[in-house]
Amino acid sequence: MESGQPVFEAIGLTKKYEDETLALDHVSFSVRAGEIFAMLGGNGAGKTTTINLFLNFIEPTEGEARINGIASHKDPLTAKRNVAFVSENVMLYPNFTALQNLDYFSRLGGKTQYSKENYHAVLRRVGLQEEAHTKRLRGFSKGMRQKCGIAIAILKDAPAILLDEPTSGLDPQAGFEFIELLRSLRDDGKSILMSTHDIFRAKEVADVVGIMNRGKLIMQKHAAELAGHDLEELYMKYIAGHIRDAA
Amino acid sequence: MLSTIIVKELKNIIVSPKFSATFAVTSLLLLLSVYVGINEYQATTRQYEAATGLVDQRLRETRSWARLSNRVYRVPNPMHVFVAGVNNDIGRTSIIDPTEQVKLTNSTYNDEPIYAAFRFIDFTFIVTIIFSLFAILFTYDAVNGERENGTLQLTFANALPRVHFIAGKFVGLWLGLIVPLLIPIVLSVVLVLAYKIPLAVDHWMSVAAIVLVSLLFCTFFIAFGICISAVTRRSSTSFLFLLVAWIVISFILPRAGVMAAGTLHPVASVAEVEGMREAFAKQIWAKHRDEMQERFRKRADEMQNMTAEERSAYEDEHAWEMMEQEDKARKDILKQIDLLGKKLEEETRNGRRQQEGLALVLSRFSPASAYQLAAMTLAGMNIDVKSAYEDALSAYRASFVTYKEKKEKESGDSGGIRITVDSNTGFKFSMGRESGSLDISEMPRFNASRFSFSGVLASALPDIVLLCAFTFLAFAAAFVAFLRYDVR
Amino acid sequence: MFRLLIEKELREIIGSTKFAVSFGVCSILILLAFYLGAANYLASVAQYNAARAENLRQLEGLTDWLAVRDYRIFLPPRPLTTLVSGIANDVGRTIEINGRGDLVAHDSRYGDEPIYAIFRFLDLDFVFQIVLSLFAIVFAYDSINGEKERGTLRLTFANAVPKAHYILAKLIGSYAALAVPLLIPLALGSLLLVVMGIPLSSNEWMRLGVIIATGIAYVGVFLTLSILLSSLTQRSSTSFLMLLVIWVMSVIIVPRGAVLLAGRAVSVPTIEENNAKKGKLNAQLWREDREAMTKFQPSSSSDPQRMASEFQKLMQEMADKRDARMKQLSDRLNEERTNAQQVQRGLAFGIARVSPAATFALATTALAGTSLDLEYLFRDAALAYQQAYAGFMFKKTGVNLSRGMIIMRTESGDPEKPKSINANELPVFTYSERGVSEVMQAVLPDIGLLLLYNVLFFAGAFVAFLRYDLR
Ligand SMILES: Nc1ncnc2c1ncn2[C@@H]1O[C@H](COP(=O)(O)OP(=O)(O)OP(=O)(O)O)[C@@H](O)[C@H]1O
Ligand SMILES: [Mg+2]
Repeated sequence: MESGQPVFEAIGLTKKYEDETLALDHVSFSVRAGEIFAMLGGNGAGKTTTINLFLNFIEPTEGEARINGIASHKDPLTAKRNVAFVSENVMLYPNFTALQNLDYFSRLGGKTQYSKENYHAVLRRVGLQEEAHTKRLRGFSKGMRQKCGIAIAILKDAPAILLDEPTSGLDPQAGFEFIELLRSLRDDGKSILMSTHDIFRAKEVADVVGIMNRGKLIMQKHAAELAGHDLEELYMKYIAGHIRDAA
Repeated sequence: MLSTIIVKELKNIIVSPKFSATFAVTSLLLLLSVYVGINEYQATTRQYEAATGLVDQRLRETRSWARLSNRVYRVPNPMHVFVAGVNNDIGRTSIIDPTEQVKLTNSTYNDEPIYAAFRFIDFTFIVTIIFSLFAILFTYDAVNGERENGTLQLTFANALPRVHFIAGKFVGLWLGLIVPLLIPIVLSVVLVLAYKIPLAVDHWMSVAAIVLVSLLFCTFFIAFGICISAVTRRSSTSFLFLLVAWIVISFILPRAGVMAAGTLHPVASVAEVEGMREAFAKQIWAKHRDEMQERFRKRADEMQNMTAEERSAYEDEHAWEMMEQEDKARKDILKQIDLLGKKLEEETRNGRRQQEGLALVLSRFSPASAYQLAAMTLAGMNIDVKSAYEDALSAYRASFVTYKEKKEKESGDSGGIRITVDSNTGFKFSMGRESGSLDISEMPRFNASRFSFSGVLASALPDIVLLCAFTFLAFAAAFVAFLRYDVR
Repeated sequence: MFRLLIEKELREIIGSTKFAVSFGVCSILILLAFYLGAANYLASVAQYNAARAENLRQLEGLTDWLAVRDYRIFLPPRPLTTLVSGIANDVGRTIEINGRGDLVAHDSRYGDEPIYAIFRFLDLDFVFQIVLSLFAIVFAYDSINGEKERGTLRLTFANAVPKAHYILAKLIGSYAALAVPLLIPLALGSLLLVVMGIPLSSNEWMRLGVIIATGIAYVGVFLTLSILLSSLTQRSSTSFLMLLVIWVMSVIIVPRGAVLLAGRAVSVPTIEENNAKKGKLNAQLWREDREAMTKFQPSSSSDPQRMASEFQKLMQEMADKRDARMKQLSDRLNEERTNAQQVQRGLAFGIARVSPAATFALATTALAGTSLDLEYLFRDAALAYQQAYAGFMFKKTGVNLSRGMIIMRTESGDPEKPKSINANELPVFTYSERGVSEVMQAVLPDIGLLLLYNVLFFAGAFVAFLRYDLR
């Protein structure tokens, strides 16, 4: 289902922090509608930085992060209208129930037409047990909160979805169902950019896999190119090679 | 194992920004308060010396025994540097005179109300409000914070008895908070020494006792904080609870207790009692006047048939006797008024004492009250100061009055201006005998009772014991609660 | 969108335990302050009436106005005084009135009843100044950085939310969530005054209203300041610590420090110094007059009635002269003292106003009539009364006596039982407070300052958030 314009587009994206850390070094890639791009990479490789740049949480030092052709740092509001986001570790509002959190965030995303039933349906879809729907979030486990976060992203129904380690904290079943969910979102024509440490799931679901190390995108391959390769081996090889190059 | 935990607690406290902030604030405040206290004490002493000097001068310049009247000032108490207590609220001086009751007037706040607008800060105030707040700040998440961080589970994945953990926690926190507090306290003491505040041995013992009681009070809050953090799951809950408890303990209970006692057990105001005494005085003076008139008339009747010479001879003969008679009548009256004054005083004081007793019982539900009362008592600055002073002054007044009467009698000086207008003798004006300046070397002087440490300690003991009990309870509760704490 | 943000803010605050607990505590405290204030007022009125009755009773049975002594006037308790004590419990409430001479107020509440002095009163002023400001901090110290810590800030701004909308909603929402619930116990408390039969004039109702409004503005200062600091720092523990230190400074240190500084910078002649000067002059005048008295020679030595009246005239003249000179000195000294006090107070309160708590205290005490002004107002009223009293006494007796002089006239004529005086004929002392407009004029700068703090911190929070790092 590859088609025309890229939804996510990183062009020479560079980020140097105030303390001179070069977190991203001229990274370029693009993700089209109906495509899942999985970023792999060690801790501190620059994955979250990339996502932050798309959301304009930080300004790029050089280059652009575009969503639907709109540079995030130039017109952040328009850019963000088109994106849903699941963060690495979201606490949400502990004093609100799951439904209240969902309601608030989907209204914030401009979706006012949802009914309670919609929320229940989405929460069921992400696998949150029924009795937790109307409970305050303060007692939720990490995975339960993560499910709520994913539900919020689904409800926004945006063409672009940013996921920062969405499967962390999910139980195996939920992890499996999440992959199913991603597939169905892709089939709906969403463009998905996710960072993850889960090589196997990445290979399973991603259309494109990118490997980052020390702020550089050192490998980018389509699923077809990876077929038959052991991604884990590949990952180790690339990282090792990159370190050697750098040295 | 225990030492590992203690060391970890200490490190944890000392590297936290919380610690540097609180340490700076408390040190600053403590030193500031002692510095202000020293200045206040010096100013008060200067004022006291100037005022007593003036009184002495006036006494020396008095020409007639009848007009001899004294004024006594409250001796400044050097403990005031640390504990203001009621020092600025109660009067500083009283007149000592046969015709006036002893009454302390001219409190600092009355005379200089600008200081009343925001009041002074003293050592005990800082301990009560600031130390306790900071103790809470360091202990509110002692147990549940570790649970939230997941470190509690990690810790108990090792072979560690719970008692060790909680004891280590307590000791570590205590050392980490109390030892730094001792630094500004020691510096304050140095400041007091540098300014040569005249503290006697008893005063120093009392200062030491106040410091110990203050540390005890901090210990209570540390134990209380740990206890609350061990009965709640989340640190935000325990923090909120402790903050509310802090407000209730340091502000609400003491005040509400006293105000409730005031409403439950009203007492007559000073003005009312004075009015009662004066009504009595007026009555008795009126009677006296009538009697005097009667006597005068009788005498006049006796002299009715005399010739002018006889009359003056008669007057000369009886002058002394008449004067004695009048004088005795006058003194009798003063005595009666005094007696009634004492009775009224006794009654109101009993009423007030009951009210105060009730108020203190109610407010002692708060450890902060117990602490404040203990510190005030140890410093000799509690509510009893007023009545104790007034009693001592009354005793002094009695000896002063006796002395004055004796002198008046010796010199035959009955005082007052006597004007006799008589159609026969014409106008006679007498000022009493002026004896130049008076020899007042034998006049009794007021000696304020000396500060005695054993005395104040004895009266402060109940509050100290109460504070110990509060601390022990909090400590025991923290232990028990932690032994049953769900570390997950 | 904007409405949604405000709504969320309100819902989040009101649904929190923090809110439930602090609202509960505040409500109880506010109601308690009103209740205790009212009870205290009623008790004070009883005391006041008893004292006044005793004072009049002691004059009963007197037959000669000349024998009137120890006549006192009392500062009447006023309902607002017990709600905002100010210095009302520190200054004397009783003044002994004589036809002439200095007026000294005695019998302060704390001096009479030191039990109240050790813990002080629980009044509305205290509840606002200490408790509500602290709760405002507890409410808002993590309003921005707390959302960041919970990750909701990232999630929120993953949507098309303008920063300006968000922070405005935050400020307005928190303000509303704090102020509106506070109005409930405050209104109930005011109702309690009515129920307990505390008579408030429309003037006093108005001032109570302004006091409450000022209180809300004061709490607002800490609320906006908390939001400001919360959007200047990354971690909520940091902002809380900073706010706590600022709170301690503002509520405890700055006001006291300012007064102490001013006390050292501006010296005010003490009452003792002035009394010493007065005493000196008095002694000197007495010496002179005694001389004159002993030298007195009546024009005729046969008519006792005339001799007496001549002597009385001389005494009166001398007393008048003495009095005029004493008054001159004491007026000068009082004026010097008052002027120095004004300079000292100006300086002290000028510095203290850096602290919102001090500004609030100054405004509310002025509104309640318990600021330092109370002392002057009482003194002026007493002076005016002294005139009326002297005039009355002169009319009755033909002389104007100062304190310490008793004339005991004993006549050896026929005893005709004289009539008792009627103490109720004495002029009545009235104490009236400043009018609303006058008070408002005096407190407007302070209220303005509080509002300025609000606006400043509001704007600061706004700007700070626009540059806030959302990650
Ligand atoms: N605010 C900052 N200031 C300075 N350096 C930063 C900042 N934030 C991140 N970095 C650095 O930028 C680099 C990339 O960090 P980033 O958070 O993007 O990593 P990541 O790939 O998401 O890692 P992880 O898998 O652990 O989530 C790291 O070296 C990190 O130290
Ligand atoms: Mg990351």
